[in-house]
Amino acid sequence: MNERVAVVGYKQTKHTFDSPVARERMIYELVKSLFKDLGITRDDIDTFIFASNDFTDGRTISEVYTVPRIGSFMKDETKVEADGLNAALYAYMRILSGLYETALVIGFSMAGSEFRVPLTQAYTLDPVYERPRGIINFYSTAALQASAYMKKYKFTDEDLARLTVKNLQNANNNPYAARKEPTISVEDVLNSKPLYLPIRQAHVSAYADGACAVILSSKKAAKKFTDTPVWIDGVGHSMDTYYIGDRDLLGMEHLSAAAKKAYKMAGIKNPKKEIDFAELHTNFASEEPVFAEAMGLFKPGSGKDVVKNGDSGIGGALPVNPSGGPLGANPINATGLIRLAEASEQLRKEAGKNQVKGAKTAVVHAQDGPGAQLNTVFVVRR
Amino acid sequence: MKRNVAIISVGYNGRFVSKRPDINIPELIQPAVDTAIGKTKLKHDQIEAYVVGNMHTFEGINQPHLWASDHFGGSKKPVMRVATGGSTGASVYQAAYYHVASGMYDVVMAIGWEKHDEGDAQVGLMGILLPEAFSLFNFGPDMSEDRGVAGLGGGGSTGGAAFQAMSYLTKAHAGIEHIDRVAAMMRSNAAKNPYAHLQQPGCTEADIAKTPIISYPLRYGHTCPTSCGAIAMILVSEEKAKKFGITDRVAWVKGLGSGASDATTGNIIEGQITDPAEQYMCKVVAKKVYSMAGIKDPRKDIQVAEVYSGFSHQDLMWPERLGLVDEGKSPEMLDKGAFAIDGELPLNPSGGVTSTNAIGASAMVRVGEAALQVMGLAEGGHQVQRKIENVVAHGWGGLFQFVTVTVLGRTPVKK
Amino acid sequence: MPGNVVRARVPITFSYKNRVGHALEQYINGLKEKKILGVKCPACKKVYVPPRTVCGKCHKPIDQMVEIGQEGVLKNFTTAHVTIANGEITDVQQPYIIGLIKLPGASSLISGIIKTSSVPEVKTGMKVKAVWKETTQGDYNDLAYFEPA
Ligand SMILES: [Zn+2]
Repeated sequence: MNERVAVVGYKQTKHTFDSPVARERMIYELVKSLFKDLGITRDDIDTFIFASNDFTDGRTISEVYTVPRIGSFMKDETKVEADGLNAALYAYMRILSGLYETALVIGFSMAGSEFRVPLTQAYTLDPVYERPRGIINFYSTAALQASAYMKKYKFTDEDLARLTVKNLQNANNNPYAARKEPTISVEDVLNSKPLYLPIRQAHVSAYADGACAVILSSKKAAKKFTDTPVWIDGVGHSMDTYYIGDRDLLGMEHLSAAAKKAYKMAGIKNPKKEIDFAELHTNFASEEPVFAEAMGLFKPGSGKDVVKNGDSGIGGALPVNPSGGPLGANPINATGLIRLAEASEQLRKEAGKNQVKGAKTAVVHAQDGPGAQLNTVFVVRR
Repeated sequence: MKRNVAIISVGYNGRFVSKRPDINIPELIQPAVDTAIGKTKLKHDQIEAYVVGNMHTFEGINQPHLWASDHFGGSKKPVMRVATGGSTGASVYQAAYYHVASGMYDVVMAIGWEKHDEGDAQVGLMGILLPEAFSLFNFGPDMSEDRGVAGLGGGGSTGGAAFQAMSYLTKAHAGIEHIDRVAAMMRSNAAKNPYAHLQQPGCTEADIAKTPIISYPLRYGHTCPTSCGAIAMILVSEEKAKKFGITDRVAWVKGLGSGASDATTGNIIEGQITDPAEQYMCKVVAKKVYSMAGIKDPRKDIQVAEVYSGFSHQDLMWPERLGLVDEGKSPEMLDKGAFAIDGELPLNPSGGVTSTNAIGASAMVRVGEAALQVMGLAEGGHQVQRKIENVVAHGWGGLFQFVTVTVLGRTPVKK
Repeated sequence: MPGNVVRARVPITFSYKNRVGHALEQYINGLKEKKILGVKCPACKKVYVPPRTVCGKCHKPIDQMVEIGQEGVLKNFTTAHVTIANGEITDVQQPYIIGLIKLPGASSLISGIIKTSSVPEVKTGMKVKAVWKETTQGDYNDLAYFEPA
């Protein structure tokens, strides 16, 4: 068995709302250039793990035509049908088992141009209760969660707008982000189109075309790829019950269980102090304080103060989504994996204008399902 | 040092059937899970993590495990979804294996299912090719890349399989009667498996030969049914198996592997027409898996095979590609009765996929049936009676391109 | 659209025959009789709405249907300015309220539309009651909405 697994390579596309190339070419060019950067070939990879989804790809068995594009032709290959961070989790397990030393993980979708995201979300709802009733969907679930948080903790629409602007400013400095709104103001967010209040259009993540590829390796094999590996020291994942009326929308016990498991593996006792920054998979801006608190990064209900003091900003006590997060780009299936790539970039001091100073330990998060029913958490260190 | 993993329990929801209008998907999964747990002394809460999968476009529900969370026990537990087409069930099981082999978990459940009565499987399968088909209609044929257009020729998945069957027959100097014969054997094996869908006791070659040709050389009697069913398996670490005191009636995972080729429905790649009956990937994976399992000669060391054959000609092709039979010799083995339940290499004692096919479950059913054979627990007369040391289980998926192979055995590989 | 991507339209709608299942079937039949049904777990006594065949906490099969109250408390709500159908987000003329309601006898919160004479009237903690269609036919719309009690 291998004892430690590292992120040794990563690359993401420049995400867009209308990709100039088809998905096969997008992932081919991405993987090819990652291999070139690292000076490796596909023969240096032991196992290949896709993260894609037949619904978001609009195609049964979505990886049928993508195998040769990522170099897994005549190689060991499999597919996780969830966010890419789960594929990374599977790759991590495969390497820990000692049967593989290296893995390529890739997540992608054309969420910006090729399908209507609310349609694939509708297919994610059960077909015989929520779908025919037409009341509960990903948006209204997020709104109910946001509304519960805001009422309980006096978090105002303005606080939410400030948090949104913080993320969009970070996204503006992120060369990979699709959504560039350099001049957006708190006023603009407050006046953006109402959807399910308190959720407005400006709070919605930027569903985009894009892909992310990450290479994981055992400690033994890491040297071949890089002198600056980023270690995966803790992982956890957990799922909640399905019906929204049975969930604790604020406590998110399943998310906190996943985080606690990852912290325990990484030997983290006090995440507020020991974690230097977080990359969270938020589909809506309002999810940020809820997730961060469930993960023990901030005190429950402290969202208002965090925004006021700028604690989650790049220069703050515990920066959240210094990359801009999914508000800057949400290419479904790649989004959580991008969090891992962004965190690795930060830990290797390659994050340019968005660099968090002195960052050594980060927590990375991904979600699937309505209202983040399934969550995955990684703790990574340099 | 590798961590040994054992399958300790296999549960079905009941007999596989074509329609279950009385229940929904979570209700289909629930009894399989309860049965698998019920066969052990475990409590439900002792399952530490779940790996699940099906082919969700068939029923039109994206990631249906989210909806089914309470029904299988996934609420507040780690759950991972894996799907790779026809090989889904085996890929799910392999992921469950790695959950344990990684050292992260000790008791993990793998679940695969399909409820084909909620959609149209052939339309679902055409969904693989639809974008190609419509770009063909819109812009004219494009044979320059691996576009899979040849698969459109015969309609549905049988069209693609017919190319493979024709190529196989040519190579093996065999005829359609061999496919009829093996198809009949599977349907009569199925009659000895209380969970199998199409059970035809004493089914003969002549019975199959009466069915109409769909796409030569494949007849209706050579194709699989679309079934509703679910399977759940429990995998545990060696330490836990010892702790539970159940090391004697378990199936040890001795070797496993998966591989991907391109979409080989008779495409043109770099000027070469690829042969869907070649299945080079299967040979490569099998070799790797045997080496992991410490098997030097699969013909001697493996006593039973459960192969995934959506079409009956594959029941002849896979034993050859898995190295269990010389290339082209399966028809001869069949004719001399070697593949029968009491033969020298029992092939699909369960009746195989041509008798029962709930797609997301099928490749796991191969592993589950292999486990039951090793444990000596196959019910209803399909248990192989001679001494079994090792069983190989196989799965395939995609456009004849993904392959999974597993060897289960009575004793674990020495560390 | 960039010039070098050619996109094929796939003008196909898949159709499915998804089964309602054992528990929801009884729920829908209950609606026809203007009843809201839940299931009660024999172990932890929790009452789940909509009904299901298992308790996710105790892993015990459930088949005991119980009728729950129709007048309860609004626990949480959102004001919707759009609807989402067939993947399209469409504006509505009149904003409407989606609420999560605690009904007596149920452990789950039930989601529903809240109708009041004006949107600002809606407050969490207010009492609401179920309003039924005059003639029910055994579908989800039979329970038309909730209004202040
Ligand atoms: Zn209970």
